[in-house]
Amino acid sequence: MVTAEWSVKLQARSGSRAKDFLNANLINILAAFLFLLLAFFLLYPIIAVLLKSVQGPSGFTLEYYRAFFSTDYYFQSLYNTLLLGAINTVVCVVVGFCLAYMTTRGPWLLRKPLKIIALIPLIAPPYLFALSLIILFGRNGLVTRALDLHWQLYGFTGVVISQSLAFIPLAYMMIESTLMSLNPNLEESAYDLGATEATILRSITIPLLAPGLLKAALLIFVMTIAEFGNAAILGGRTPFLAPDTYTVITGESDFNMGSVLSVVLIVPCIIIFFVHNYLLEGKKFTTIGGKPVASEPRKITPLVLAPFVIITTVAAGAIFVCFGVVFVASFFKILGVTHNAVLSNYLDFTSNQAIYNSIRVSFMAAAIGAILGVLMAYVIVRGKFFGRSFIEMVSLSGFALPGTVLGIGYLLAFSAPPLKLTGGIMILALNCVFRFIAVGVEAGISKLHQIHIEIEEASADLGASFLTTFYKIVLPIMFPAFIAGFVYTFMTAIVSLSAVVFLVSPGFDLASVKIFDAAVYGEIGIASATTMKLVLIVMICMLILDFITKKTKLGSSMKKSAAV
Amino acid sequence: MGVKQNERPMLILKGIHKFYGKNEVIKGVSLEVQKGELVTFVGPSGCGKTTLLRLIGGFTDVSSGDIILDGQRINDLPPNLRDTRICFQNYALFPHMTVAENIGYGLKINKWPRDRIEARVKELLKMVELDTFGDRMIDKLSGGQQQRVAFARALSLEPKVLLLDEPLSNLDANLRLIMREEIRNLQEKLQITTVFVTHDQFEAMAISDRLVVMRDGLIEQVGSPIEIYERPANEFIAGFVGYVNFMEGRIASIDEKTSDTVINTQYGKIEITLEQDDIVNGDEVLMVIRPESVNISLDRGGKGQNVLSGALKSYMYAGSLAKCTVMIGDRTMIIDQYNPRDAQQFKHAEKVEVEIPRSVHLLKKKS
Repeated sequence: MVTAEWSVKLQARSGSRAKDFLNANLINILAAFLFLLLAFFLLYPIIAVLLKSVQGPSGFTLEYYRAFFSTDYYFQSLYNTLLLGAINTVVCVVVGFCLAYMTTRGPWLLRKPLKIIALIPLIAPPYLFALSLIILFGRNGLVTRALDLHWQLYGFTGVVISQSLAFIPLAYMMIESTLMSLNPNLEESAYDLGATEATILRSITIPLLAPGLLKAALLIFVMTIAEFGNAAILGGRTPFLAPDTYTVITGESDFNMGSVLSVVLIVPCIIIFFVHNYLLEGKKFTTIGGKPVASEPRKITPLVLAPFVIITTVAAGAIFVCFGVVFVASFFKILGVTHNAVLSNYLDFTSNQAIYNSIRVSFMAAAIGAILGVLMAYVIVRGKFFGRSFIEMVSLSGFALPGTVLGIGYLLAFSAPPLKLTGGIMILALNCVFRFIAVGVEAGISKLHQIHIEIEEASADLGASFLTTFYKIVLPIMFPAFIAGFVYTFMTAIVSLSAVVFLVSPGFDLASVKIFDAAVYGEIGIASATTMKLVLIVMICMLILDFITKKTKLGSSMKKSAAV
Repeated sequence: MGVKQNERPMLILKGIHKFYGKNEVIKGVSLEVQKGELVTFVGPSGCGKTTLLRLIGGFTDVSSGDIILDGQRINDLPPNLRDTRICFQNYALFPHMTVAENIGYGLKINKWPRDRIEARVKELLKMVELDTFGDRMIDKLSGGQQQRVAFARALSLEPKVLLLDEPLSNLDANLRLIMREEIRNLQEKLQITTVFVTHDQFEAMAISDRLVVMRDGLIEQVGSPIEIYERPANEFIAGFVGYVNFMEGRIASIDEKTSDTVINTQYGKIEITLEQDDIVNGDEVLMVIRPESVNISLDRGGKGQNVLSGALKSYMYAGSLAKCTVMIGDRTMIIDQYNPRDAQQFKHAEKVEVEIPRSVHLLKKKS
């Protein structure tokens, strides 16, 4: 009797086969859905750019590439861009290393202040530095007029300086984290065996840091060659690829050439992305872990200390001055030209409208991005399906893509059916979502790696279905990652310029675009005030992030991904 | 143990204090280490033992006090100019160098000629039985092998004092026993003055000439392992170097000639042979009763000297010994019965007799 009852119950349990199938395959269905989204909003626009670059009036043609490489102007543009990337990389890595060395090995007293200054540029949109250089050395610049200079910063030098300052924190954060993970006992052992500070640096610290330095260098290179704002504002008549793309599209509506320029910009980015993620993966020296000992400051000889002090002081000073100048300039119509302080820049209607628009777009992007990020992270970490690593690669490749490429890509892909989005606010939000999707995904992955799969298995073991487990167990645990992804996507989106500058419609300005336009047209006061508003917003976001990180121990892995 | 007591001490610590900000982590430590001696700093985590080692190595500055190495004050010398070498807990082997390059690093830094470096490295490799491993990279070595390389590297320059910071804590239990014997053998063979840091009291006792038991930045007791175990200075040390049963009592009489001493306890009279001179008649004392020093037998009614009766609360047989928990009045006593023969009977016994040894050590009770 008993057995009969049991079998009835068992049958009842496995009653609906469709439901069981759904339950077992939900993660795969979710993965497929996410993959379709990625394909449509990330891959399709890129492919559209690739196609456009070889699509003449009568089908396939390489004419536009021929034109690119045979035009001196474009060739110069490519050369300038690569040279800019190279110089920037060297400067940022050297300065970043000096700063990181001082904040992890230097005297206790200097560590904290230097760290703060090194990280300050993070709260600013990168083009703040271009703006401050215009205020100081532009046509009506403070220094230009004070010293009656006939030399102006517009052109290569200006772009190099502003870009370097903008990317120092990124280099610093990456190098600092590798320095921190370097067992201080290694350097102490060398010290103990008789090595001087210079010898320790040469024979131990730098060789061990090399993979980390290389990674940082590659990333900085990719980011700087793709960066649009500084080059567009300060480039003057010096051609660079990213701003040229913009000119070609908006000025001449030449989508073919615009696409060619984009592809040329993509190639080094993609190469470096692969080198970064696959060739360098695991190229790290592992040592047996002991108790983590805070690296105590060594008695560094003045001869070694001096260059570090000089480099860090100059960099820190420059960062400080740039911020100060923009802050002061925000209270004058044109600092140095008009002399009475005003608040009108902060009250300017178009500026505030642009800020409001930016918040709206960024909020939408952050909400969608954070949800997708958590889901994708889950699928990537827990999924066991074919193509899992492909999704991971695609979702994390966003950062390696120059913004201009996704800008044009969205213009090409979504200006006509099947999905016409151009002119709306949605295209801006979606663009930000998929450009910065890596942020949310990384946050989710790093959090998920902290959760043992046993927790989910325990839940399933107790009879919960996949959905129940996901809903009751995974989501609550992932919540901090969701919030972090949200805040970070928000602050990245709100300062981003290079892609959205292609997508804004007349009458619907975003703050970053407003700053760009104002800076170009010489409305220094408005540009500065709008920049300061963005700085304030980003600062608030940072504080929230910091709070969450401390509360939930999201850990350094998150910080690292935030750097990317 | 081959320690030459009459020579000048190799290492002297004089009134060492160390502050981190306002936090005093070493609160006045003085110590002399003889040439060829192996001295172990042992204590619970946070007691300051590693800090003290780092002070000797020069990685941290002393706030006050002197460090004297072989007659020379070395307070202000940085590690690279001190004739001390340290072996870190995590070995800190340079992962971008081979075994031979690691061992030869200090020699190269000190500008030894290449052929001498080669010869010395070879000698050291042979000494730690890694003759054929010179060209290996560090990550191709096992934990024990890495430990040997670190040891060889620290010895390469023949330091006056070798500093070992928990060198065995990353090894698994078996290997730890083997390595500690090897380290001790080499240390005795080379007659190298060594300061060893560990939190493992048994390791400390097994390997050392003398133990320095530390707590809260202070030295609690210095002595040979036997002294520390059998004649601990206070309750903390007694409990730190092994399990201990305490029993209160009062000295009823001391025979000046034979040192026969009677202690009144609430469970009856205990007679011992007093071997310490800090105890006088009438003192309130704590008896330090080690679990293995007590004889336990089944209650057969008759009572002898120093025998207390108790109730057997649990009897856990584990082959070579049985752990007995006995209630004597309201006091729990843990007794290790080695070579347990009557296990079967003990398992069902309720009443037992325990015999307190005459050699019990006494601690003066602080009033």
